[in-house]
Amino acid sequence: MRVRSWIGASITMVLLSTITAAVPVAAAPEGTLTVAVATFGNERWLPHLYVGAEDIVLKPLWENLLNRDAKGNLIPMLAERWQALDGGRTWKFHLRKGVKFHNGTELTAEDVRYTFTQIAREGSANALSNEMRLIKSMEVEDPYTIAIHFEKPFVTFGNRVTSGLFGSTGYIQSKKHLEAGEEAAERRPIGTGPWKFVEHLRGDRIVYEAVDRHWRATPNYKRLVFLKVPEPATRMAMLRAGSVDVIEAGGEYVDELKKVGMRLLTMPNTSAIWVILGGQWAGRPSYDPKVPWAQPDAERARKVRLALNLAVDKKAIFDRVLGGVGSPLGTVNAYPTDPWMPEALLKPIPYDPAKAKALLAEAGYPNGFDVTMNLTAWPGRGYLPDVGEAVATYWEKIGLRVKRRPVDRAVFAADFRARSYAGVALAYAGPIIGPEPWELFVRISHSKAAVHLLFEHPKLDAFVDRLGVEPSAAARTKIMREEMEPWLHEYMPAVTIGATHSIAGVGPKVGDWPLIPGHLGLHNWEYVTRK
Amino acid sequence: MARHLVGRILQTLLSMLVVISIVFVLTRMSGNPIQLLLDVNATERDQQILTHYLGLDQPMPVQYAIYVKNIFLGDFGKSILTRRPVVEHIWERLPATAELGLVAMAMSVLIGVPLGMYSAVHRGTALDTGARIFAVLGQSMPAFWLGLMLILLFGVVLGVLPAGGRGGALNLILPAFTLGYFTSAAILRLTRSAMLEVLGSDYIKFARLKGLSEQVVLWKHGLKNALLPVVTFAVMLFVQFLGGAVVTETVFAWPGLGRLILESITTRDYPIVQAGVLVLSALYLTGNLCVDVLYSYLNPRIRHARA
Repeated sequence: MRVRSWIGASITMVLLSTITAAVPVAAAPEGTLTVAVATFGNERWLPHLYVGAEDIVLKPLWENLLNRDAKGNLIPMLAERWQALDGGRTWKFHLRKGVKFHNGTELTAEDVRYTFTQIAREGSANALSNEMRLIKSMEVEDPYTIAIHFEKPFVTFGNRVTSGLFGSTGYIQSKKHLEAGEEAAERRPIGTGPWKFVEHLRGDRIVYEAVDRHWRATPNYKRLVFLKVPEPATRMAMLRAGSVDVIEAGGEYVDELKKVGMRLLTMPNTSAIWVILGGQWAGRPSYDPKVPWAQPDAERARKVRLALNLAVDKKAIFDRVLGGVGSPLGTVNAYPTDPWMPEALLKPIPYDPAKAKALLAEAGYPNGFDVTMNLTAWPGRGYLPDVGEAVATYWEKIGLRVKRRPVDRAVFAADFRARSYAGVALAYAGPIIGPEPWELFVRISHSKAAVHLLFEHPKLDAFVDRLGVEPSAAARTKIMREEMEPWLHEYMPAVTIGATHSIAGVGPKVGDWPLIPGHLGLHNWEYVTRK
Repeated sequence: MARHLVGRILQTLLSMLVVISIVFVLTRMSGNPIQLLLDVNATERDQQILTHYLGLDQPMPVQYAIYVKNIFLGDFGKSILTRRPVVEHIWERLPATAELGLVAMAMSVLIGVPLGMYSAVHRGTALDTGARIFAVLGQSMPAFWLGLMLILLFGVVLGVLPAGGRGGALNLILPAFTLGYFTSAAILRLTRSAMLEVLGSDYIKFARLKGLSEQVVLWKHGLKNALLPVVTFAVMLFVQFLGGAVVTETVFAWPGLGRLILESITTRDYPIVQAGVLVLSALYLTGNLCVDVLYSYLNPRIRHARA
């Protein structure tokens, strides 16, 4: 469980808890909520084809087994209760009765089994495919109960089937609808969510309509329209002109939004930014011992990594590049409100270029060295090339010769899968795909992970493996607080920038909007009230 | 004439084959779509399965042969991303593009031709200077800047026109003007110089000596002859609008064909890129062919020279 600071008033939190306790909103839906988002176009509707990057625009249609509350605790959604048994080897979900898909059929445990099987099938693009493949068997005990068995304990499986996290792609779909024909299901998707599908013009608009008397929350708006408006200045103008009600915005628009009297919606601590120092994968064929920060001499390598950290003014990056939304921190993949994070480790590493230069000299690089900085944008994190550019400029001040290389994510993807970018740095923002940091490490920084976006080390593998089978949340917190985080802070595998927020501009028609802390991207459309 | 026509048609078909081949090679050089279609954690096996499913594991010449054969059979394939027929995607976007292109072209002609003509007839006056300033501004202002300024003025400050998106007729005004302004300036300059040339010609002098009214001289004998290059230019412009309006489409969130092709390039959706470029080049080449034939028909000197 992660408790985050966030700006939503406690009243809205109480409201959310009340609503999620299955009390439908009485007032009939009215009007249209129009939202301008920066990008979509890769959306797919079938469970095995849905990657996860289009979360914002697809989430209204579907629901997950579980959800998260305002404090980050797991709460019921389609499953009204659940049990983790046998130390996390078995998860049993008891489904809510009477939940209907948009075609009128009732949700049953067979739909859950079918959805998870589809996600796990060979060639699946779903972000949860690897996790679902860990399932040994699924047992439908009765129409409303399913037991999911794993070979090894999967202590955080609940986090994988929740709605309130980035990459929570385990939306439960209708077996009957999908079996009737995938092509038809892709053109006319249905779910159990509070919004039903109306129209989809890829890369332009998605239109939903409110489901009357939805079991969980009948939306306040009759229609929900997502428009793709790639140009940020146009989004801003459309909000000011009243053409749209909500816009995705970057940090650079914070001041303008305030100046023109628009409301600023902040989703705090949604991703942790760091600069990857590529090549820290000793023992692999692509390992290059000449890379200064990954060389076999561990002490010299650490001095280089520390120097690269000291050379960067993180506060200035937050103020000037990220619009002041977020906070600089001292350790990688961390958030200020993490209960497993000792206070001392959160303090940002100071900006001290003189010391950085001295450390470089001590490490054997008095004249600096050559480095390539990839400038690569990721979905929902378009600020990353600017962060990379800023870091490159700081590094040049201590004598490094930095070659900037704008690279498309698709092109770079082959490199981070193959671990073939030794000596290359790039800014990256890890979203919260699980509340505990090792849940991200297991995907991007474990020697068995399919991709590499931080570093590899036997000690980190050992921590992740140990935490992955520890059923007690308190014991996991203790391991992280007392062992893993101090070690990570000392090892300093990357240049840590800090934790940033996601923001949105909201027009005058929009009322209260309860949010789930740490959830990257806009969500909870069904709870947005009208003014 | 018939021989000339057949020759031009053959040239057009050959040009399209070249375009198809270039686009095929370039799209495959731009990166692997598999990396974007799968989650970052996808296994090697998942990648292999999807690569096989999409036929991307075949040797390049085999992929090319299949592609060309399918085009001749009228099959443009399915989108890699959505697995829907590419033709559906093109048809979804073509109306928006055609609508914007037609209105933009109409605006260009309606602004450019009268102003160009007026400027030529009143050469050296303040109005001529004003028209030339209008033309210089139109050709030097970047579309994205002009678009944003128009949005700010008419959408935000005055609040009289929608700031973006496709909807009713009002939604068309700002993007069409943004797109059409640049070309109206070009048409203005072209009309002006053509008119100046025509007005100085012997037959215009003769028409005046015959005592014809100035209106008849200008409209019937002057503009009619000066319009030939303008018509050619306008037709080619319209075809260019269909695919080249991507900046305007992006600024105004207009769901046109240009944006579809651009987005498909970023997602490596080869079939859509290939089909989109093919459609645009076919339109361009057909437009070119029509203009060429029309030109030969309208201008006896060209017809006779070719004969």
